[in-house]
Amino acid sequence: MLLSFIVSGLGVGAVYALSGVGLVVLYRATGVLNFAFGATGALGAFCAHTVATAGYPVVAAWMTALVVATASSYFYGRVIAPSLSTRDLVVRAVGTLGFALILLGFIGWAWGDTPRRLSLPTDGIYFDLFGTRLTMTRILALALVFGMVAGINFMLSRTRLGLEMRSLADNRGLSAILGIRVVSVEASAWIISGISAGICGVLLANLVRLQGLQLTFLVIPAIAAAILGGLSSLVATAAAGVAIGIVEACLSIWPAVAPYRTATPFVVALIAVAVMGATANRRILTR
Amino acid sequence: MLVTCTAAAIWLSAGSGVQAQTIRCGMNNGQKATGVPINIGGIVSKTGPDDFSASAGAAEAYFKCVNQNGGINGRPINYSVGDDRWNPETATQLRAKLVDDQKVVAMVGSSSFAECAANAKAYEASNVVVIAGVGVPRECFTSKNYAPLNAGPRLSTVAAAQHLNERDGAKSFVCISLNIPNFGAWACDGIDVWAKANGLKSTTILIDPGSSDANSTILQAAALKPDAIVFCLSKSVIVSLLVAAEQQGIVDKIKFGSGAAAYASDLPAAIGPAWNKKFLTNMEFQAIDSTAPDNKNWLAIMDKYADASVSRDTFSQGGYLAARLATETLLKLDPAKIDRDTVSDALRKVSKFESDILCTSWYFGADAARHNANSVLRTSIVDENAWKVVSPCTKVVDPELADIRAYEQKSGMDR
Repeated sequence: MLLSFIVSGLGVGAVYALSGVGLVVLYRATGVLNFAFGATGALGAFCAHTVATAGYPVVAAWMTALVVATASSYFYGRVIAPSLSTRDLVVRAVGTLGFALILLGFIGWAWGDTPRRLSLPTDGIYFDLFGTRLTMTRILALALVFGMVAGINFMLSRTRLGLEMRSLADNRGLSAILGIRVVSVEASAWIISGISAGICGVLLANLVRLQGLQLTFLVIPAIAAAILGGLSSLVATAAAGVAIGIVEACLSIWPAVAPYRTATPFVVALIAVAVMGATANRRILTR
Repeated sequence: MLVTCTAAAIWLSAGSGVQAQTIRCGMNNGQKATGVPINIGGIVSKTGPDDFSASAGAAEAYFKCVNQNGGINGRPINYSVGDDRWNPETATQLRAKLVDDQKVVAMVGSSSFAECAANAKAYEASNVVVIAGVGVPRECFTSKNYAPLNAGPRLSTVAAAQHLNERDGAKSFVCISLNIPNFGAWACDGIDVWAKANGLKSTTILIDPGSSDANSTILQAAALKPDAIVFCLSKSVIVSLLVAAEQQGIVDKIKFGSGAAAYASDLPAAIGPAWNKKFLTNMEFQAIDSTAPDNKNWLAIMDKYADASVSRDTFSQGGYLAARLATETLLKLDPAKIDRDTVSDALRKVSKFESDILCTSWYFGADAARHNANSVLRTSIVDENAWKVVSPCTKVVDPELADIRAYEQKSGMDR
């Protein structure tokens, strides 16, 4: 029985991982923890659903999600984020929260609370594993985690853009003096984040539900994964996201705990912060 | 000239007669009420996890109609609605504003998740009667001054289970609801108690409203190997669970049903063709597309007086009934003596409010400790992207209704 819940948790865990990776890439390049990641993805997902129900092919729906999410993310990164770039981390994060609430309000106004279902062709293909069905959509999500982590790691370590992003993350002021086009590099990071949000938005709308409020605040488990990854390691973030999804699913087995399993990301993040904080203190004391 | 005027007068009278046939509200005289307004209030949970405002939206439409048709013997209704944003503190503040500041004579058409617990005692202390369109948590059905027109999630969920037992022979149930105090456990406890009393089996699974893992919830329920799974959830959560059930291939292995929250015209299309004739829901009121006269009147009033954004759903039906009941009660009073005490007294005495939207007549129950008059309900099943009524009005058998049934028997009411 435990194995079937592990398999069940893989799908949502994969999307937490994808979301976490998207958050870390942006944080490393811009220092912004993007609370609007979920809302950006939600907007993309709702647009994709509208395109799909209008009779257009699935590919068009996917492209719509990516374009809309990327455009929203780029808009924030190019127009609003620069004006907050000299402010401290908390202010820059809260700015994205404000953007998230604006997007959430727009989604509610445009699409209302009509129940919707975002189906994908991969839903109908499945494998039976330990008494549960693993749909191709979930396998796709897992594959995308590997692909995205590998791709972004390659980009960061082997490309000029990646070098510039790492430089920016290390020291923004010095990077500007050295001639790195700060705004352009940051915009690239927002675009990558937007693409990631678009993919995650569609997958989460399929695996969870197509509802603005729900999708917007699924950024919280993603942030928990990012924190576990130290807001720096993509591999650790991805692993953490998958682990959070699996733990959350497995807690269904114990009736006393099951109603509260949505607290898993918060509890995991709290433990991680406490352990990491204690470990850092010990390292400082032993120097 | 005289002939022309007479002909015009006859034509105009005929015109207003046609209007009175198609829409009926209040005095039906086509004259705008211009007297001293009568203040009535309502509280809804609009902004938040779900939007319950259609009840007050329908009540507002009905009162607009009334004000265009003579008001309450010449006096218009001044209807004020507040959004408590699912927050008990906000609900308390709204109650204070409406009851203490605006001195409303009654509360009509409310549909709030938060206000029953927050305000019930205060309504009693202020002698304000609440004729709610829709009540949700337990306190809405266990308070002296609070009387909803709907049946409530507990009766609705039990009714769904009963139908699955009678139609499909289901003997073991899993009830899935939200871990919200005085809601989820209370509603599913209805199936539990009914099941035990009838030698059946029931288990409750409570989930967080924000839960994102519908797949694991369905696996958890299916692992108990029930004959039927019954939901007492919001429609968006129901859709995600049904999608998960479909993906896990258990549509044909387990029967699925729900309390009235699933009865929304857009849900069958959202869940898709796999659920055709396989997912049923209980209904607290008449079918939304019914051509019964009062149901048609509700739709006509909504079309003429309500904004297009107000849902034409089961909440709206409840709000319409609450407003109609309040209007008809006020019309029996001396317009010069309408105040909180006379209105509360008159509302408490309502004993046979009839509508084809309801299965049986509705009553307040003046000397009853609590109010749950709507307890005879219908069931629908998904049929080709729409709902189809599959059961006649059936009495809900919930052991918790024992005090209500005893009151009805003592009062000579036929249920």
